[in-house]
Amino acid sequence: MSGAAQVTKRAKYKISVKDPGTPGALRMNDQKLMFMPDNRNSGAKLVVEFKSIQGHKYTKEGSNKPPLINLANAQGGSYIFEFDSYADLHVCRDFVSKVLEKSKETPNAALEKSAIKLPDEQLSEEEMQLRIKLLQENSELQKLHRQFVGGNILTEAEFWAARKKLLDIDPSKKSKQRVGFKSAMISDIRPATDGRTNKVTFSLTPEIILQIFAEKPAVHRAFLNFVPNKMTEMEFWTKYCRAEYLSRTKNYHAVVAEAAEDEELAVFLKEDDILANEVRKKIRRVDPTLDMEADEGDDYTHLPDHGIFRDGTKESNELQSEHYRRTLLQDLNRHAAVVLEGRTIDVEREDSTRALAEALARSKRGNEGADNNANEERLDRTPRVAEIEDLQAPHCLPLAPLSIKDAREYFDSQQANTLKASRDAQASMKCSLSKQEAYRSVRDAISEIKDMGLSDPIVNPEVALKVYSGLTHNISSIKYHLGKNPRETVLDRLPSATKEKLLYHWMSIQELLKHFWSSYPITTPYLYSKVNRLKDALSNIYPQLEEMKESLPADLRHQVSLLVRPMQQALDAAIQHYDADLQKRSAKSGEKPNGYI
Amino acid sequence: EDEDDNLGLEAWERSYADDRSWEALQEDESGFLRPIDNSAFYHAQYRRRLRTTARIQKGLIRYLYIVIDLSRAAAEMDFRPSRMAVVAKQVEAFVREFFDQNPLSQIGLVTVKDGVANCLTDLGGSPESHIKALMGKLGCSGDSSLQNALDLVQGLLSQIPSYGHREVLILYSALSTCDPGDIMETIQKCKESKIRCSVIGLSAEMFICKHLCQDTGGSYSVALDESHFKELIMEHAPPPPAIAEFAIANLIKMGFPQRAGEGSISICSCHKEVKVGVGYTCPRCKARVCELPTDCRICGLQLVSSPHLARSYHHLFPIAPFDEVTPLLNDPRNRSRSTCFGCQQSLLSSGNKPGLYVACPKCKKHFCLECDIYIHESLHNCPGCESL
Repeated sequence: MSGAAQVTKRAKYKISVKDPGTPGALRMNDQKLMFMPDNRNSGAKLVVEFKSIQGHKYTKEGSNKPPLINLANAQGGSYIFEFDSYADLHVCRDFVSKVLEKSKETPNAALEKSAIKLPDEQLSEEEMQLRIKLLQENSELQKLHRQFVGGNILTEAEFWAARKKLLDIDPSKKSKQRVGFKSAMISDIRPATDGRTNKVTFSLTPEIILQIFAEKPAVHRAFLNFVPNKMTEMEFWTKYCRAEYLSRTKNYHAVVAEAAEDEELAVFLKEDDILANEVRKKIRRVDPTLDMEADEGDDYTHLPDHGIFRDGTKESNELQSEHYRRTLLQDLNRHAAVVLEGRTIDVEREDSTRALAEALARSKRGNEGADNNANEERLDRTPRVAEIEDLQAPHCLPLAPLSIKDAREYFDSQQANTLKASRDAQASMKCSLSKQEAYRSVRDAISEIKDMGLSDPIVNPEVALKVYSGLTHNISSIKYHLGKNPRETVLDRLPSATKEKLLYHWMSIQELLKHFWSSYPITTPYLYSKVNRLKDALSNIYPQLEEMKESLPADLRHQVSLLVRPMQQALDAAIQHYDADLQKRSAKSGEKPNGYI
Repeated sequence: EDEDDNLGLEAWERSYADDRSWEALQEDESGFLRPIDNSAFYHAQYRRRLRTTARIQKGLIRYLYIVIDLSRAAAEMDFRPSRMAVVAKQVEAFVREFFDQNPLSQIGLVTVKDGVANCLTDLGGSPESHIKALMGKLGCSGDSSLQNALDLVQGLLSQIPSYGHREVLILYSALSTCDPGDIMETIQKCKESKIRCSVIGLSAEMFICKHLCQDTGGSYSVALDESHFKELIMEHAPPPPAIAEFAIANLIKMGFPQRAGEGSISICSCHKEVKVGVGYTCPRCKARVCELPTDCRICGLQLVSSPHLARSYHHLFPIAPFDEVTPLLNDPRNRSRSTCFGCQQSLLSSGNKPGLYVACPKCKKHFCLECDIYIHESLHNCPGCESL
């Protein structure tokens, strides 16, 4: 029943709920509903389009009320129908809701259909949504779109190609820049201490966690292994912070004791074996020509106390325990190495710490493969960058000398072009004066002026005055017509309908001209067909403008024609250019009428 | 002990303690203070600014991006009132001067904040829009990132035509850069895209900035105080010499629009409003534009007027620097040449002693120091040569 295109039920039409109602038959289809009363003469016949129906209400089944459906229309009135049974009501109700839903979609559906891209354009879902949104928000854009794309003058791609800027506003489409690691060592977390309650609070943000994972690969590995199998994230971080706190207290015995108790805590306190491995690998990769042994004799920094005699009797014996003491220098160096390597993970994209850890592990595995190449590159680059400045050659890029080309070249070539063009055009002036004749005529003119002298005054004063007053009158009359109010523009004096039409015409002309001029010079047949389409559209605008002018009363016609004239001039220029170009190409390509190059 | 005292003083205090600026004051006959004669000082400054007059190509059609660093370090107060405020003010002055000297060029603004670079304004030829956008967005926080700024600018400059000269001017206040990748690669890419990067630092010299400028052919300088910063930034206003391998000579199509008649009414294509009279019509598509120089919105033709081209012309053909003249006291010709040809003021300073003056090498006319500065920096034509 739900798939039926039409529903017919017996119902009573009521004007209000209390009305006893006129019995009859209610028929509904996709477009409208019709009510035919049993009594043909009662005059309660009703035909209502679904377009005017805004919503519907109905009585619930369990209540004691009779089965009613109330259709509200746009003007605020309502049609109430009472059915024989609830089953009928349900059927009608479903049908009505279906039709109403479909009609709501129609304005969008039309847009969507036209906005659905041609098969040659790959559009993502978001881009289509963005386009539809832009069209809905901007009514001008919608009008243009409907006129041109709907009228098959422009294709969808061309229309939007001119509006790249609007489409780019969507921030998720722009290539997001990544922020590098901070130079500050935020992985060195310090707690906030509360003197009253003797509690220390560590705060960890995802940024800090990422740095901790990057700088301490053993902690990273521990996280991946322990969470969520052995402990929760909270417990993991609590242990980590405890380890940090302990190692900072420099209370060695406490550290050893705690490490012995808690195996996981020991992981945080021990030496980072992954790092140690990496360092060993790096040492093996050092340039073999670098002799590290030979330097050792010169190296005093590793002697105790830098080779300076010092009285060490007062110092206590430090326990050499297996627990590693990280020095500040090692921390700094490790942090610097991590920062310089660069960042490949965006913290905001990962939801949980687990995801972050996994992403980091993935990127590290990816990097391992590229290691060899990177090493060679690095070996290559280091000597280049590490050169001492004073020993380098002066680094000056050579400047380009000024060479001004002879301007006659350009003018000569232009003249050749125009001569050729004029020769191709019909009936050019037949100027076949020889040099002697030209010289003779110039000489005659000069001698004539010498005899007669220039007329005094050069310009006839009456004529001059007439011209001058005519011009000023023209200018002042325009200013007079525009009125004294500077804020009132010319458009405001016209009735709003005319104004709308003018602006609409102007906008469509601008759009067409933009596309027209951007397709020159024509290099592909596609552009050629596009230009033809545009030219036809442009020629169609002339009669529209004329029509608009004629529909106006006489006093406004002058104003509007002044406004319309520049538009017509622009159209003329475009069509002229088209004709000239066509002529040129047909002259060049001879017999090929299609203009294929 | 003197040195120890001075160490505790700020720079502005030292100018009083060391330089004893009050001793330069003089009184005239009636006991009033005479204004301090700084002309010799300005003249020496200007001589330093003079460039060579070799005939070299210059980039006249420049597409310049100014990158302003708005990181935490820009809030430092060693430049009064803060580095950011000083930079903003000087950038405003620079933008106006730039369009004065390079009417065919375009500027865009980029800011770096929180480690990310954002494009504040696109390439455009109208100074007002840039200045308004800049003044509206002055807040600093976070780190600065050289690599992100260079990446963004390189992406934006890749779209401009090949005859334009691509430049970046980075005003860097921070001492570090927070980069997501290898900055050497970015510098290499900039070099391949022929972008000339210059940096003006406000804190201290950094190796990476120096390396960047050297590789791309730009200039790196560090400002000592506000006036020095102003000098350094104004040095970038005249067009830089073109590097041989980057310069391509092309014919560029430009339109010279006619001014619309007094009474013509039309809807202008930039504002969608009806304008009366004032405006220009594009010679190709007959659309109306409000101001020059600009690109026609309908057909894309570059529209300029001949004064704009003339303003760019004098960069290619600068006037030769004038020679300093040391007058002989007993020279009989001195009496006849005792006034400046430009301003007709006496060249003899107080006490009938001939002061310092200069002469044009071509027309041999004498000019005072102020006229010398004016002729070379604003007028760009020697009145003596033109009057012959």
